[in-house]
Amino acid sequence: MLTMKNISKVFKTDLVETHALRDFNLEVNEGEFVAVTGPSGSGKTTFLNIAGLLEGFTHGDYFLDGVNISNLSDNKAAAIRNEKIGFIFQGFNLIPDLNLAENVEVPLRYRGFSAKERQRRVQEALDKVGLGARMKHLPSQLSGGQQQRVAIARALAGEPRFLLADEPTGNLDSLMARQVMELLEEINKAGTTIIMVTHDPELARRAQRNIQIVDGQVCDFTLYQGGQAHVAQTEQKVAS
Amino acid sequence: MFLYYVDLAWRSIKKTPVLSLLMVLAISIGIGITITTLNVYSMMSFNPAGERSDRLNAIQLWSQGVNSWDEYHSLVTYQDVMNLRQSGIPKAQAAMFRTGAAVQTDDPEFVPILRGIRVTDSGFFSLFSVPFLYGGAWDKSVDSDPQYQLVIGEKLNQSLFGGENSVGKTVYLNRKPYHVVGVIKEWNPQPKYYDPLNGAFNSAEQLFVPFSLTPIEEFDVWGNSSGWKFEPMTGYQSRLNSEKVWLEFWVDLPSEESRSAYRSFLSHYVEQQKQLNRFTDDKAAADSVQLSNVAEWLEMNNVVPEDNKILVGLSALFLCVCLVNILGLMLTKFLKRAPEVGVRRAIGASRGQIFAQYMVEVGVIGLFGGLLGLLWAWLALYSLSAKFDVADGLTNLSMSMWVITPSIAVGTALLAGLYPAWVVCRTKPSVYLKSQ
Repeated sequence: MLTMKNISKVFKTDLVETHALRDFNLEVNEGEFVAVTGPSGSGKTTFLNIAGLLEGFTHGDYFLDGVNISNLSDNKAAAIRNEKIGFIFQGFNLIPDLNLAENVEVPLRYRGFSAKERQRRVQEALDKVGLGARMKHLPSQLSGGQQQRVAIARALAGEPRFLLADEPTGNLDSLMARQVMELLEEINKAGTTIIMVTHDPELARRAQRNIQIVDGQVCDFTLYQGGQAHVAQTEQKVAS
Repeated sequence: MFLYYVDLAWRSIKKTPVLSLLMVLAISIGIGITITTLNVYSMMSFNPAGERSDRLNAIQLWSQGVNSWDEYHSLVTYQDVMNLRQSGIPKAQAAMFRTGAAVQTDDPEFVPILRGIRVTDSGFFSLFSVPFLYGGAWDKSVDSDPQYQLVIGEKLNQSLFGGENSVGKTVYLNRKPYHVVGVIKEWNPQPKYYDPLNGAFNSAEQLFVPFSLTPIEEFDVWGNSSGWKFEPMTGYQSRLNSEKVWLEFWVDLPSEESRSAYRSFLSHYVEQQKQLNRFTDDKAAADSVQLSNVAEWLEMNNVVPEDNKILVGLSALFLCVCLVNILGLMLTKFLKRAPEVGVRRAIGASRGQIFAQYMVEVGVIGLFGGLLGLLWAWLALYSLSAKFDVADGLTNLSMSMWVITPSIAVGTALLAGLYPAWVVCRTKPSVYLKSQ
């Protein structure tokens, strides 16, 4: 479903070049739940931004659903983000002036759905995260865990093919984090592919596969089956 | 999406009321000043003759001698008027000047009032499309066979006769009885194009009497009277026979043929006068006549002073200064919302959609600024009218301004908003998503 081949990302200033990703290779299959771990500054977020078409890259090829999307125009990238990709952020990133329903509705507006369709999807998405009765509340009236659930509802409302989560539990206490994680697992079971960046090894272990990034390269990946690690590789592998 | 953007704009305005108010004020002040000067300018430069502008022509003759005035005078002599009136080419023609007299009625209780009077020919009323409420102009024969008849205005008819049909009644001008033959409807062309020399924005006269009475009644001249050479004035008759210019002469030439024929007639007339040793300048006869249509006439007589044009330019510059201020305020306001833009971009908004959202917000602010600016302009014009005795014709907010003002306000706001909206729509979503 998602294939990255020899992706490099270089941030340049007048004085210095920083290689955020170098010869990065990865394949994620449909329906997978992949955790991405690694130390701070290793390139996890850069990878996620590139995967989510929020940033371009310097070299390499990126295939999404078999289509090379290396040189997409801004409008096409926005349309793909809107249609195929859902985002969940550590800081929730809800729009504070909009109530829950309006927040969830935002991507649907850009997609051009009718008011009736939007209403149906918003209701369904908020019901799914257990906040269907609080549609008119503002984000500031909710706890952190609830806000993250709204962010998940917003990501789900457009029925995306895959969900990118950047430390979705980073700002939550353990109880809330567990609830959010259970929700993500449920979503994954329903067929949505999830790529989750996390620092928490416990959470990473709950994914089907854990990819570790160090210095902008995949240096290790572990396949979990039935809670046990089956494969471990310590060098850059092209999962092809 | 447009209504969605309007809704977002309204929320944004409510969220930052002080900043939004500052922007609205900046636009409104710039717009208010611009519209005030523009309104005065447009009122001044309005051509009330409309479609008839080209066919109505004021006559000017190079009647002065050598080493005299080096341009055409707007007025002509009595003898020239009397000669030119003989032509049958114009569809209508009218000589005119302004005088004044004490006005009285048969009512002994009525206190005489001093009023300006237009002394003119019967053709005046058709030339300038004067509408009648009762009766009409005096007969054409009166132009050569003087009769004590007059036409009065609706306002004067109201004060003299309580607004009833006064045709046939008597009005006394300097105690001499005149019979009312017509009452004109409210008519006050602004600028007063038929006589801009006596105050282009003064009101039209309420009394009109036959020009043919001039030598008999020896009306005073309430206007310009100029001579290019010394002539002893021993009485009214010597004024009539002199080379003094003090009359305006208008003709209606509805077609190109009639204009050409009349121009030829005037050239022959000048030639004839040269042979009579009246027009002594060696200028060619064809170059010694000038026909000016209404637009040319208004320009020639500086109805819109140069100062006013400069003022419009200055106010436009002031609007530009406001525009730059608004640009800065908008940039501040929009960049504060860059994180929100980052989120919107991440979840599917294109740059175009973000740009449109912010331009709509700018437009809404501009609209509020325009409406407030309209209020400022109205107040400024009202103050001009109330405090400085500026002619009403210049201080009425023209109907077109009710459309032009919001349009200019929205237009300038959009112009000012282009850069801030462009900057914010180019926000890289990834920069803000972590930092929120």
